[in-house]
Amino acid sequence: MEDNNLLRIEHIKKNFGDTGVLSDISLSVNEGEVVSIIGPSGSGKSTLLRCATLLTQMDDGNLYYGDMCAAKSVNGKSVYAGKDELKKIRQYFGLVFQNFNLFPHYSVLKNIIDAPVNVLGRSKEESEKKAAELLKMLGLAEKGDAYPCELSGGQQQRVAIARALALEPKILFFDEPTSALDPELTGEVLAVIRKLAANHMTMVIVTHEMQFAKEVSDRILFIENGVVVEEGTPDKLFSSDNPRVREFIGRMAN
Amino acid sequence: MNITFMQLLSGMVVSVEIFLLTLLFALPLGLLVAFGRMSKNKILQTLVKVYIAIMRGTPLMLQLIVVYFAPFYIFGLKISQGYRFVAVIIAFSINYAAYFAEIYRAGIESIPIGQYEAAEVLGYSKRQTFFRIIFPQVIKRILPPVTNETITLVKDTSLAFVIAVAEMFTIAKQISAKQASVNALMVAGLFYFVFNYAVAYIMEFFEKKLSYYR
Ligand SMILES: Nc1ncnc2c1ncn2[C@@H]1O[C@H](COP(=O)(O)OP(=O)(O)O)[C@@H](O)[C@H]1O
Ligand SMILES: [Mg+2]
Repeated sequence: MEDNNLLRIEHIKKNFGDTGVLSDISLSVNEGEVVSIIGPSGSGKSTLLRCATLLTQMDDGNLYYGDMCAAKSVNGKSVYAGKDELKKIRQYFGLVFQNFNLFPHYSVLKNIIDAPVNVLGRSKEESEKKAAELLKMLGLAEKGDAYPCELSGGQQQRVAIARALALEPKILFFDEPTSALDPELTGEVLAVIRKLAANHMTMVIVTHEMQFAKEVSDRILFIENGVVVEEGTPDKLFSSDNPRVREFIGRMAN
Repeated sequence: MNITFMQLLSGMVVSVEIFLLTLLFALPLGLLVAFGRMSKNKILQTLVKVYIAIMRGTPLMLQLIVVYFAPFYIFGLKISQGYRFVAVIIAFSINYAAYFAEIYRAGIESIPIGQYEAAEVLGYSKRQTFFRIIFPQVIKRILPPVTNETITLVKDTSLAFVIAVAEMFTIAKQISAKQASVNALMVAGLFYFVFNYAVAYIMEFFEKKLSYYR
Protein backbone atom coordinates (compact mmCIF):
# COMPACT_ATOMS: atom_id res chain seq x y z
CA MET A 1 0.00 0.00 0.00
CA GLU A 2 1.25 3.44 -0.92
CA ASP A 3 1.93 5.73 2.01
CA ASN A 4 -0.49 8.60 2.12
CA ASN A 5 1.56 11.78 2.44
CA LEU A 6 -0.05 14.47 4.57
CA LEU A 7 2.66 17.08 5.00
CA ARG A 8 5.70 18.04 2.99
CA ILE A 9 8.00 20.82 4.08
CA GLU A 10 10.86 21.35 1.66
CA HIS A 11 13.99 23.45 2.20
CA ILE A 12 12.48 25.96 4.60
CA LYS A 13 14.52 29.07 5.24
CA LYS A 14 13.58 31.65 7.81
CA ASN A 15 15.49 34.66 9.13
CA PHE A 16 14.46 37.17 11.74
CA GLY A 17 16.31 40.28 10.61
CA ASP A 18 19.96 39.28 10.31
CA THR A 19 19.70 36.11 12.37
CA GLY A 20 19.07 32.96 10.40
CA VAL A 21 16.76 30.70 12.39
CA LEU A 22 15.96 27.92 9.91
CA SER A 23 18.62 27.23 7.29
CA ASP A 24 17.36 24.37 5.14
CA ILE A 25 14.90 22.07 6.82
CA SER A 26 12.75 19.48 5.13
CA LEU A 27 10.19 17.24 6.75
CA SER A 28 7.70 14.84 5.27
CA VAL A 29 4.97 13.18 7.33
CA ASN A 30 2.77 10.30 6.24
CA GLU A 31 -0.67 9.42 7.50
CA GLY A 32 -0.58 7.76 10.92
CA GLU A 33 3.01 8.74 11.62
CA VAL A 34 4.18 10.29 14.87
CA VAL A 35 7.24 12.49 14.40
CA SER A 36 9.02 14.10 17.33
CA ILE A 37 11.30 17.09 17.06
CA ILE A 38 13.97 17.51 19.69
CA GLY A 39 16.84 19.94 20.07
CA PRO A 40 18.24 22.64 22.32
CA SER A 41 16.38 25.84 23.20
CA GLY A 42 16.55 28.42 20.45
CA SER A 43 17.35 25.87 17.77
CA GLY A 44 14.25 26.85 15.76
CA LYS A 45 11.73 24.14 16.70
CA SER A 46 8.89 26.53 17.43
CA THR A 47 9.68 28.56 14.35
CA LEU A 48 9.45 25.40 12.26
CA LEU A 49 6.01 24.58 13.70
CA ARG A 50 4.89 28.18 13.27
CA CYS A 51 5.92 28.11 9.62
CA ALA A 52 4.12 24.81 9.13
CA THR A 53 0.94 26.14 10.78
CA LEU A 54 1.02 29.41 8.81
CA LEU A 55 1.50 31.58 11.90
CA THR A 56 4.81 32.76 10.49
CA GLN A 57 5.71 33.21 6.84
CA MET A 58 8.87 31.43 5.80
CA ASP A 59 11.35 33.25 3.54
CA ASP A 60 12.00 30.37 1.18
CA GLY A 61 10.82 26.81 0.74
CA ASN A 62 7.77 24.76 -0.21
CA LEU A 63 4.88 23.73 2.00
CA TYR A 64 2.33 21.13 0.94
CA TYR A 65 -0.61 19.60 2.80
CA GLY A 66 -1.81 16.53 0.92
CA ASP A 67 -2.18 17.76 -2.65
CA MET A 68 -2.71 21.36 -1.56
CA CYS A 69 0.14 23.81 -1.95
CA ALA A 70 0.36 26.39 0.82
CA ALA A 71 3.62 27.95 -0.38
CA LYS A 72 6.02 27.38 -3.19
CA SER A 73 9.52 28.66 -3.77
CA VAL A 74 9.77 31.00 -6.74
CA ASN A 75 13.17 32.56 -7.45
CA GLY A 76 14.36 31.85 -3.92
CA LYS A 77 11.26 33.26 -2.22
CA SER A 78 8.20 31.50 -0.84
CA VAL A 79 5.03 32.55 -2.61
CA TYR A 80 1.90 31.77 -0.61
CA ALA A 81 -1.43 30.54 -1.92
CA GLY A 82 -4.46 32.84 -1.94
CA LYS A 83 -6.58 33.60 1.08
CA ASP A 84 -9.32 31.09 0.31
CA GLU A 85 -6.87 28.28 -0.35
CA LEU A 86 -5.01 29.01 2.90
CA LYS A 87 -8.31 29.00 4.75
CA LYS A 88 -9.00 25.53 3.41
CA ILE A 89 -5.47 24.41 4.31
CA ARG A 90 -5.92 25.63 7.91
CA GLN A 91 -8.64 23.02 8.36
CA TYR A 92 -6.10 20.33 7.54
CA PHE A 93 -4.09 20.75 10.74
CA GLY A 94 -4.41 21.64 14.41
CA LEU A 95 -1.88 23.11 16.84
CA VAL A 96 -1.53 22.66 20.58
CA PHE A 97 0.43 25.47 22.21
CA GLN A 98 2.87 25.34 25.07
CA ASN A 99 0.71 27.66 27.18
CA PHE A 100 -2.67 26.31 26.04
CA ASN A 101 -4.16 29.62 24.83
CA LEU A 102 -7.66 28.64 25.82
CA PHE A 103 -10.30 31.35 25.55
CA PRO A 104 -10.79 32.38 29.20
CA HIS A 105 -14.26 33.89 28.73
CA TYR A 106 -15.66 30.66 27.30
CA SER A 107 -16.56 27.55 29.26
CA VAL A 108 -14.71 24.34 28.43
CA LEU A 109 -17.58 23.18 26.24
CA LYS A 110 -17.80 26.52 24.44
CA ASN A 111 -14.04 26.51 23.85
CA ILE A 112 -14.46 23.21 22.07
CA ILE A 113 -17.61 23.83 20.03
CA ASP A 114 -17.20 27.50 19.13
CA ALA A 115 -14.97 26.92 16.11
CA PRO A 116 -16.87 23.90 14.74
CA VAL A 117 -20.11 25.89 14.94
CA ASN A 118 -18.86 29.30 13.81
CA VAL A 119 -16.00 28.38 11.49
CA LEU A 120 -17.20 25.11 9.96
CA GLY A 121 -20.91 25.86 10.30
CA ARG A 122 -21.71 22.61 12.07
CA SER A 123 -24.87 22.32 14.12
CA LYS A 124 -24.68 23.05 17.84
CA GLU A 125 -26.23 19.72 18.84
CA GLU A 126 -23.84 17.69 16.72
CA SER A 127 -20.86 19.69 17.99
CA GLU A 128 -21.91 19.30 21.60
CA LYS A 129 -22.30 15.57 21.18
CA LYS A 130 -18.86 15.34 19.64
CA ALA A 131 -17.37 17.56 22.36
CA ALA A 132 -18.87 15.35 25.07
CA GLU A 133 -17.22 12.31 23.48
CA LEU A 134 -13.87 14.10 23.29
CA LEU A 135 -14.10 15.25 26.91
CA LYS A 136 -14.88 11.72 27.98
CA MET A 137 -11.94 10.34 26.02
CA LEU A 138 -9.62 12.91 27.59
CA GLY A 139 -10.89 12.25 31.12
CA LEU A 140 -12.73 15.55 31.47
CA ALA A 141 -16.31 14.33 31.26
CA GLU A 142 -17.43 16.43 34.23
CA LYS A 143 -15.68 19.63 33.21
CA GLY A 144 -17.79 20.92 30.31
CA ASP A 145 -19.28 23.77 32.32
CA ALA A 146 -16.06 24.78 34.06
CA TYR A 147 -14.05 27.81 32.98
CA PRO A 148 -10.36 27.48 32.09
CA CYS A 149 -9.30 29.44 35.20
CA GLU A 150 -10.92 26.75 37.35
CA LEU A 151 -8.77 23.97 35.87
CA SER A 152 -5.25 22.74 36.55
CA GLY A 153 -2.63 23.24 33.84
CA GLY A 154 -2.86 19.60 32.84
CA GLN A 155 -6.62 19.83 32.49
CA GLN A 156 -6.33 23.05 30.50
CA GLN A 157 -3.90 21.44 28.10
CA ARG A 158 -6.24 18.47 27.64
CA VAL A 159 -9.06 20.91 26.85
CA ALA A 160 -6.78 22.58 24.31
CA ILE A 161 -6.19 19.17 22.73
CA ALA A 162 -9.95 18.53 22.66
CA ARG A 163 -10.51 21.93 21.07
CA ALA A 164 -8.03 21.10 18.31
CA LEU A 165 -9.47 17.61 17.78
CA ALA A 166 -13.04 18.93 17.51
CA LEU A 167 -12.15 20.33 14.09
CA GLU A 168 -11.03 16.85 12.98
CA PRO A 169 -7.58 17.82 11.73
CA LYS A 170 -5.69 15.30 9.65
CA ILE A 171 -2.47 16.26 11.40
CA LEU A 172 -1.91 17.68 14.87
CA PHE A 173 1.14 19.72 15.92
CA PHE A 174 2.28 20.07 19.53
CA ASP A 175 4.77 22.73 20.62
CA GLU A 176 6.23 21.56 23.93
CA PRO A 177 2.77 20.62 25.28
CA THR A 178 4.04 19.84 28.77
CA SER A 179 6.73 22.52 29.26
CA ALA A 180 4.40 24.88 31.11
CA LEU A 181 3.22 22.15 33.48
CA ASP A 182 4.35 21.06 36.91
CA PRO A 183 6.08 17.68 36.67
CA GLU A 184 3.20 15.85 38.36
CA LEU A 185 0.78 17.12 35.68
CA THR A 186 3.01 16.22 32.72
CA GLY A 187 2.02 12.57 32.82
CA GLU A 188 -1.70 13.11 32.25
CA VAL A 189 -1.07 15.12 29.09
CA LEU A 190 1.50 12.66 27.76
CA ALA A 191 -0.97 9.84 28.45
CA VAL A 192 -3.55 11.58 26.25
CA ILE A 193 -1.03 11.99 23.42
CA ARG A 194 -0.09 8.31 23.73
CA LYS A 195 -3.77 7.46 23.44
CA LEU A 196 -4.01 9.53 20.26
CA ALA A 197 -0.95 7.76 18.88
CA ALA A 198 -2.57 4.41 19.60
CA ASN A 199 -5.58 5.65 17.60
CA HIS A 200 -3.21 6.41 14.67
CA MET A 201 -3.51 10.17 14.89
CA THR A 202 -0.86 11.81 12.73
CA MET A 203 1.23 14.05 14.96
CA VAL A 204 4.31 16.26 14.95
CA ILE A 205 5.50 16.85 18.50
CA VAL A 206 8.16 19.22 19.75
CA THR A 207 9.15 17.94 23.16
CA HIS A 208 11.87 17.79 25.78
CA GLU A 209 10.45 14.54 27.23
CA MET A 210 13.03 12.10 25.88
CA GLN A 211 11.53 8.90 27.24
CA PHE A 212 8.12 9.86 25.89
CA ALA A 213 9.54 10.75 22.46
CA LYS A 214 11.34 7.43 22.33
CA GLU A 215 8.19 5.46 23.11
CA VAL A 216 5.63 7.33 21.06
CA SER A 217 7.52 8.32 17.91
CA ASP A 218 7.95 6.56 14.62
CA ARG A 219 10.65 9.03 13.76
CA ILE A 220 12.67 11.67 15.60
CA LEU A 221 14.39 14.77 14.22
CA PHE A 222 17.23 16.37 16.14
CA ILE A 223 17.46 20.04 15.22
CA GLU A 224 20.27 22.40 16.10
CA ASN A 225 21.04 25.90 14.79
CA GLY A 226 18.25 25.67 12.25
CA VAL A 227 19.32 22.46 10.55
CA VAL A 228 18.35 18.82 10.98
CA VAL A 229 21.45 17.26 12.51
CA GLU A 230 20.08 13.74 12.61
CA GLU A 231 16.83 12.05 11.69
CA GLY A 232 15.63 8.49 12.11
CA THR A 233 13.87 5.94 14.26
CA PRO A 234 14.02 6.41 18.02
CA ASP A 235 16.48 3.50 18.23
CA LYS A 236 18.76 5.16 15.71
CA LEU A 237 18.67 8.52 17.49
CA PHE A 238 19.12 7.08 20.95
CA SER A 239 22.16 5.09 19.85
CA SER A 240 23.56 7.86 17.69
CA ASP A 241 27.29 8.20 17.03
CA ASN A 242 26.97 11.95 16.71
CA PRO A 243 28.45 13.46 19.90
CA ARG A 244 26.06 16.46 19.82
CA VAL A 245 23.02 14.17 19.71
CA ARG A 246 24.43 11.89 22.42
CA GLU A 247 25.29 14.79 24.65
CA PHE A 248 21.85 16.42 24.25
CA ILE A 249 19.90 13.23 24.86
CA GLY A 250 22.06 12.37 27.83
CA ARG A 251 21.58 15.82 29.32
CA MET A 252 17.81 15.83 28.78
CA ALA A 253 17.37 12.33 30.17
CA ASN A 254 18.47 13.56 33.58
CA MET B 1 -41.14 77.09 45.34
CA ASN B 2 -42.91 74.64 43.09
CA ILE B 3 -41.71 76.44 40.01
CA THR B 4 -38.16 76.36 41.35
CA PHE B 5 -38.44 72.65 41.89
CA MET B 6 -39.76 72.09 38.37
CA GLN B 7 -36.87 74.15 36.99
CA LEU B 8 -34.34 72.07 38.87
CA LEU B 9 -36.04 68.92 37.68
CA SER B 10 -35.86 70.00 34.05
CA GLY B 11 -32.18 70.80 34.59
CA MET B 12 -31.64 67.29 35.91
CA VAL B 13 -33.31 65.82 32.87
CA VAL B 14 -31.05 67.80 30.54
CA SER B 15 -27.95 66.71 32.49
CA VAL B 16 -29.00 63.07 32.27
CA GLU B 17 -29.69 63.49 28.54
CA ILE B 18 -26.24 64.94 27.96
CA PHE B 19 -24.74 62.06 29.92
CA LEU B 20 -26.62 59.28 28.12
CA LEU B 21 -26.27 60.71 24.62
CA THR B 22 -22.54 61.27 25.14
CA LEU B 23 -22.06 57.64 26.17
CA LEU B 24 -24.25 56.45 23.31
CA PHE B 25 -22.07 58.24 20.73
CA ALA B 26 -18.66 58.28 22.41
CA LEU B 27 -18.39 54.58 23.28
CA PRO B 28 -18.72 53.27 19.69
CA LEU B 29 -16.90 56.29 18.24
CA GLY B 30 -14.04 55.65 20.66
CA LEU B 31 -13.67 52.11 19.31
CA LEU B 32 -13.43 53.45 15.75
CA VAL B 33 -10.87 56.03 16.90
CA ALA B 34 -8.90 53.25 18.62
CA PHE B 35 -8.83 51.31 15.33
CA GLY B 36 -7.56 54.41 13.58
CA ARG B 37 -4.93 54.91 16.26
CA MET B 38 -3.73 51.30 15.83
CA SER B 39 -4.04 51.37 12.03
CA LYS B 40 -1.09 50.31 9.89
CA ASN B 41 -1.87 53.30 7.69
CA LYS B 42 0.63 55.90 8.94
CA ILE B 43 -1.36 58.88 7.71
CA LEU B 44 -4.55 57.79 9.43
CA GLN B 45 -2.62 56.87 12.54
CA THR B 46 -0.95 60.31 12.69
CA LEU B 47 -4.23 62.16 12.11
CA VAL B 48 -5.87 60.23 14.90
CA LYS B 49 -2.90 60.84 17.20
CA VAL B 50 -3.17 64.59 16.62
CA TYR B 51 -6.93 64.49 17.23
CA ILE B 52 -6.46 62.61 20.51
CA ALA B 53 -3.69 64.99 21.59
CA ILE B 54 -5.92 68.02 20.98
CA MET B 55 -8.92 66.51 22.73
CA ARG B 56 -6.89 65.55 25.77
CA GLY B 57 -4.59 68.57 25.72
CA THR B 58 -7.14 71.41 25.71
CA PRO B 59 -9.96 72.18 28.16
CA LEU B 60 -13.33 70.65 27.39
CA MET B 61 -14.85 74.03 28.16
CA LEU B 62 -12.86 75.58 25.32
CA GLN B 63 -13.86 72.74 22.99
CA LEU B 64 -17.50 73.39 23.82
CA ILE B 65 -17.14 77.04 22.88
CA VAL B 66 -15.32 76.20 19.67
CA VAL B 67 -17.93 73.66 18.58
CA TYR B 68 -20.72 76.08 19.46
CA PHE B 69 -19.31 79.02 17.52
CA ALA B 70 -17.71 77.06 14.67
CA PRO B 71 -20.77 77.19 12.36
CA PHE B 72 -20.75 80.98 12.63
CA TYR B 73 -17.02 81.66 12.36
CA ILE B 74 -16.18 79.00 9.81
CA PHE B 75 -19.32 78.90 7.68
CA GLY B 76 -20.93 82.22 8.52
CA LEU B 77 -24.11 80.45 9.59
CA LYS B 78 -26.52 81.91 12.07
CA ILE B 79 -26.49 79.88 15.26
CA SER B 80 -29.97 78.72 16.15
CA GLN B 81 -31.21 78.28 19.69
CA GLY B 82 -31.64 74.51 19.25
CA TYR B 83 -27.98 74.14 18.25
CA ARG B 84 -26.81 74.76 21.82
CA PHE B 85 -27.78 71.30 22.95
CA VAL B 86 -26.50 69.68 19.74
CA ALA B 87 -23.17 71.47 20.18
CA VAL B 88 -22.87 70.08 23.69
CA ILE B 89 -23.48 66.53 22.47
CA ILE B 90 -21.00 66.92 19.60
CA ALA B 91 -18.29 68.42 21.81
CA PHE B 92 -18.75 65.89 24.60
CA SER B 93 -18.89 62.94 22.20
CA ILE B 94 -15.72 63.78 20.30
CA ASN B 95 -13.92 64.65 23.53
CA TYR B 96 -14.92 61.49 25.36
CA ALA B 97 -14.36 59.34 22.27
CA ALA B 98 -10.68 60.35 22.46
CA TYR B 99 -10.40 59.23 26.08
CA PHE B 100 -12.36 56.04 25.45
CA ALA B 101 -10.17 55.31 22.41
CA GLU B 102 -7.04 55.27 24.55
CA ILE B 103 -8.78 52.99 27.04
CA TYR B 104 -9.87 50.63 24.27
CA ARG B 105 -6.39 50.65 22.81
CA ALA B 106 -4.72 49.80 26.11
CA GLY B 107 -7.30 47.04 26.58
CA ILE B 108 -6.84 45.58 23.12
CA GLU B 109 -3.06 45.70 23.39
CA SER B 110 -3.17 43.91 26.75
CA ILE B 111 -4.70 40.76 25.25
CA PRO B 112 -1.96 38.13 24.82
CA ILE B 113 -0.87 37.43 21.24
CA GLY B 114 -1.57 33.74 21.90
CA GLN B 115 -5.31 34.45 21.82
CA TYR B 116 -5.00 35.72 18.26
CA GLU B 117 -2.79 32.82 17.24
CA ALA B 118 -5.11 30.20 18.73
CA ALA B 119 -8.05 31.77 16.89
CA GLU B 120 -6.09 31.93 13.64
CA VAL B 121 -5.13 28.26 13.76
CA LEU B 122 -8.74 27.32 14.56
CA GLY B 123 -9.78 29.10 11.37
CA TYR B 124 -11.54 32.17 12.77
CA SER B 125 -11.67 35.13 10.40
CA LYS B 126 -10.15 38.44 11.53
CA ARG B 127 -13.62 39.79 12.28
CA GLN B 128 -14.66 36.69 14.23
CA THR B 129 -11.40 36.78 16.17
CA PHE B 130 -12.01 40.35 17.22
CA PHE B 131 -15.68 40.15 18.08
CA ARG B 132 -15.84 36.61 19.51
CA ILE B 133 -12.46 36.28 21.23
CA ILE B 134 -10.73 39.61 21.78
CA PHE B 135 -13.43 42.22 22.39
CA PRO B 136 -15.32 40.37 25.16
CA GLN B 137 -12.06 40.09 27.08
CA VAL B 138 -11.26 43.74 26.40
CA ILE B 139 -14.59 44.82 27.92
CA LYS B 140 -13.80 43.04 31.15
CA ARG B 141 -10.37 44.63 31.36
CA ILE B 142 -11.46 48.18 30.59
CA LEU B 143 -14.46 48.38 32.91
CA PRO B 144 -12.54 50.05 35.79
CA PRO B 145 -11.05 52.87 33.66
CA VAL B 146 -14.36 53.29 31.81
CA THR B 147 -16.08 53.68 35.18
CA ASN B 148 -13.63 56.44 36.07
CA GLU B 149 -14.29 58.28 32.81
CA THR B 150 -18.04 57.86 33.21
CA ILE B 151 -17.96 59.38 36.68
CA THR B 152 -15.93 62.28 35.35
CA LEU B 153 -18.52 62.67 32.60
CA VAL B 154 -21.32 63.06 35.15
CA LYS B 155 -19.50 66.01 36.67
CA ASP B 156 -18.38 67.37 33.29
CA THR B 157 -21.98 67.72 32.12
CA SER B 158 -22.05 70.88 34.26
CA LEU B 159 -19.57 72.48 31.82
CA ALA B 160 -22.47 72.88 29.38
CA PHE B 161 -23.36 75.99 31.34
CA VAL B 162 -20.61 77.80 29.42
CA ILE B 163 -22.83 77.93 26.33
CA ALA B 164 -25.95 78.47 28.44
CA VAL B 165 -27.54 75.09 28.05
CA ALA B 166 -30.18 74.77 30.75
CA GLU B 167 -28.75 71.76 32.51
CA MET B 168 -28.66 71.18 36.25
CA PHE B 169 -25.75 73.44 37.16
CA THR B 170 -26.80 76.34 34.94
CA ILE B 171 -30.27 76.39 36.46
CA ALA B 172 -29.08 75.93 40.01
CA LYS B 173 -26.74 78.87 39.59
CA GLN B 174 -29.52 81.07 38.21
CA ILE B 175 -31.91 80.16 41.03
CA SER B 176 -29.29 80.61 43.65
CA ALA B 177 -28.45 84.11 42.32
CA LYS B 178 -32.11 85.06 42.31
CA GLN B 179 -32.78 83.74 45.81
CA ALA B 180 -29.46 84.94 47.18
CA SER B 181 -29.12 81.47 48.75
CA VAL B 182 -26.97 78.43 48.15
CA ASN B 183 -29.85 75.99 48.58
CA ALA B 184 -30.28 75.33 44.88
CA LEU B 185 -26.56 74.72 44.49
CA MET B 186 -26.69 72.30 47.38
CA VAL B 187 -29.49 70.43 45.65
CA ALA B 188 -27.36 70.35 42.48
CA GLY B 189 -24.42 68.97 44.45
CA LEU B 190 -26.60 66.27 45.94
CA PHE B 191 -27.92 65.45 42.48
CA TYR B 192 -24.41 64.90 41.04
CA PHE B 193 -23.47 62.82 44.05
CA VAL B 194 -26.50 60.53 43.80
CA PHE B 195 -26.10 60.30 40.03
CA ASN B 196 -22.50 59.17 40.43
CA TYR B 197 -23.45 56.75 43.15
CA ALA B 198 -25.92 55.14 40.73
CA VAL B 199 -23.30 55.04 37.97
CA ALA B 200 -20.77 53.37 40.26
CA TYR B 201 -23.42 50.89 41.37
CA ILE B 202 -24.33 49.93 37.80
CA MET B 203 -20.70 49.60 36.74
CA GLU B 204 -20.00 47.41 39.76
CA PHE B 205 -22.91 45.23 38.69
CA PHE B 206 -21.29 44.75 35.26
CA GLU B 207 -17.90 44.04 36.83
CA LYS B 208 -19.47 41.38 39.03
CA LYS B 209 -21.27 39.90 36.07
CA LEU B 210 -17.93 39.51 34.26
CA SER B 211 -16.05 38.16 37.25
CA TYR B 212 -16.90 34.55 36.37
CA TYR B 213 -13.50 34.21 34.72
CA ARG B 214 -10.00 35.51 35.12
N1 LIG C 1 9.45 36.81 16.25
C1 LIG C 1 10.78 36.67 16.40
N2 LIG C 1 11.58 37.73 16.17
C2 LIG C 1 12.93 37.62 16.29
N3 LIG C 1 13.56 36.50 16.64
C3 LIG C 1 12.83 35.40 16.89
C4 LIG C 1 11.40 35.44 16.78
N4 LIG C 1 10.94 34.20 17.08
C5 LIG C 1 12.01 33.44 17.37
N5 LIG C 1 13.16 34.16 17.23
C6 LIG C 1 14.52 33.64 17.45
O1 LIG C 1 14.65 32.48 16.67
C7 LIG C 1 15.43 31.53 17.34
C8 LIG C 1 14.68 30.20 17.40
O2 LIG C 1 13.56 30.36 18.22
P1 LIG C 1 12.52 29.18 18.46
O3 LIG C 1 12.03 28.70 17.13
O4 LIG C 1 11.51 29.69 19.41
O5 LIG C 1 13.42 28.07 19.13
P2 LIG C 1 13.00 26.81 19.98
O6 LIG C 1 11.51 26.64 19.88
O7 LIG C 1 13.76 25.68 19.38
O8 LIG C 1 13.45 27.07 21.38
C9 LIG C 1 15.76 32.09 18.71
O9 LIG C 1 17.06 32.59 18.68
C10 LIG C 1 14.75 33.19 18.86
O10 LIG C 1 15.30 34.22 19.65
MG1 LIG D 1 10.02 26.66 21.37
